[in-house]
Amino acid sequence: MTQYVNEQDVRAIAEYTRIGLTDEEVAQMTIDLNSIIEGLKPITEYDLEGVEPTFHPIGSLSNVMRDDVVTEGFTQEVALENAPHKQDGCFLIPSILGEGGDR
Amino acid sequence: MAVERDLWRLSAAELQRGLLAKEFSAKEITESALGRIAQADPEIHAFLELTEKAAYKQAARIDEALSQGTARECGPLFGVPIAFKDNMNLEGTHTTCASRMLENYVSPYTATCVARAIGAGGIPLGKLNMDEFAFGSSTETSAFGKTLNPWDRERVPGGSSGGSAAAVASGMACVALGSDTGGSIRQPGAFCGAIGVKPTYGVVSRYGVVAFGSSLDQVGPFARTVHDAACTLNAIAGRDPLDCTSQESTVDFTANLAEGVRGMKVGIVPAFMEAKGLSPEVRHKVEEAAANLAAMGAEIVEVALPNAQAAMSAYYVLGPCEAFSNLARFDSVRYGYCDPGHKDLGSQYEASRTIGFGSEARRRIMLGSYLLSSGVYNTYYYPAQQVRTLITRDYNEAFGKVSCILAPVAPRTAFKFGEIADPAEMYLTDMFTISINIAGNGGMSMPVGPGEETHLPIGVQLIAPAFHDELMLRAAAALETVYGPAPIAPDFDGLNDNAKAGE
Repeated sequence: MTQYVNEQDVRAIAEYTRIGLTDEEVAQMTIDLNSIIEGLKPITEYDLEGVEPTFHPIGSLSNVMRDDVVTEGFTQEVALENAPHKQDGCFLIPSILGEGGDR
Repeated sequence: MAVERDLWRLSAAELQRGLLAKEFSAKEITESALGRIAQADPEIHAFLELTEKAAYKQAARIDEALSQGTARECGPLFGVPIAFKDNMNLEGTHTTCASRMLENYVSPYTATCVARAIGAGGIPLGKLNMDEFAFGSSTETSAFGKTLNPWDRERVPGGSSGGSAAAVASGMACVALGSDTGGSIRQPGAFCGAIGVKPTYGVVSRYGVVAFGSSLDQVGPFARTVHDAACTLNAIAGRDPLDCTSQESTVDFTANLAEGVRGMKVGIVPAFMEAKGLSPEVRHKVEEAAANLAAMGAEIVEVALPNAQAAMSAYYVLGPCEAFSNLARFDSVRYGYCDPGHKDLGSQYEASRTIGFGSEARRRIMLGSYLLSSGVYNTYYYPAQQVRTLITRDYNEAFGKVSCILAPVAPRTAFKFGEIADPAEMYLTDMFTISINIAGNGGMSMPVGPGEETHLPIGVQLIAPAFHDELMLRAAAALETVYGPAPIAPDFDGLNDNAKAGE
């Protein structure tokens, strides 16, 4: 079977998608992805010269507009209801530039 | 008033007739449904959460309307017990998508389809199990345990809307809502012997339904009669300003169910019938259904969908790409699982997503990321969208000749737990359903009795032209006159019979 991705690629994808994988999981994921990508082969073998893409099933419709009227949305309180950590009406996150202070 | 009958057995139409005739109350319907769930769900595990309070509140509303003589004004689902796939927000309930990621998420709002079903008088019973984030065909990827097939508890109910199909097939819900991205309503419908309808993309709003593949996802009903399915679709269809893909709906889906199929041209796709992997018993049932439609006056016409075989690979490009994009929102900050104790955001992201997502979700996210990466995009993603053009053209051409198409739903009957472990093999169970999501038109599963070999339910698929879903419902109603409504699975049909109730 063609190898489309190797373990190094899989580690790079995992890092990009923010998913941590153990060495064993990297090995299994490499096998799985190669097997799935192999199954996608028909798409690469089609003669699609001159065929326009359809990005959306209802692609032919025009844009949807509404009147510019302010309507009620979530209150700040509701928007924060499911936040794991919050403070003073804001989402609270740890430091974004490496080691930071306490929460 | 003592209730002599098991109300949970009744169809929506029967329940509404009984309510109007004052034979029983909406409260008694609710008691019967919840009692039924208490009895059967430990065996099936279709429900992830019950909404008893909301159910009784709604029942009180219906009973009040009945006493005022205004029950019909409540809407097409008045007094009908309904349950929702757990990717649909209902304010105050957990909406988990059967994922650890959303285990503690409580909906701050209600999805349009759920609001419409309840607004139309449906009695909300609870939330139903599914494959995690709808990634799967067996409901085995649920983080909260598998759902069992009511016909054989060693087998999967199908997926991803496995909880919805199992709840209806075991009599726990009269109707249920599911969502279908590549077959997730139709395939569990077939595996559990329930009617499952995926309407045309744009018929039902997806606002408040957790997104998987946004250009493919559509919401639809499960039911045991075609009328009940059509009635539920009436309740949830139509334009919603909060989902710009939703369209105005002026069709009454129940209106022409009794018209029959005389003179209707029904297409058969020879390449589907000869497909590698199609089991003989499923093939036989599709041929039998075609013969029955012909006997009722339909004209069976061979049609070709020459590009349908590319649908599978197009789907496994488009689905993961869209899923990768949609699941990027789970950042451990605004909602969803947050792994505690991290000193920097990067490690919190990674730990939370690693623990929050199950293996199939991770696989699809990573596949989507790969397929959209620079240099790979032009090899897969762009051609997949071109293939979508070809498949849509095929359907348009076929529907120039026929009013609907008859096909298999799944290549075989329900498989055993763990029987299919290879993801690529699991994907093949959707081989006959996927091209419809790619093109966007409607498709439904109609149970036609058990297979001669496995004695498990088989569904045939009826496929309609875009925004003519009433045509497949009409053909399904004709088949219903031959095969009868979808039965409650035998093991559950007698659970609450009078002898046992007296014990």
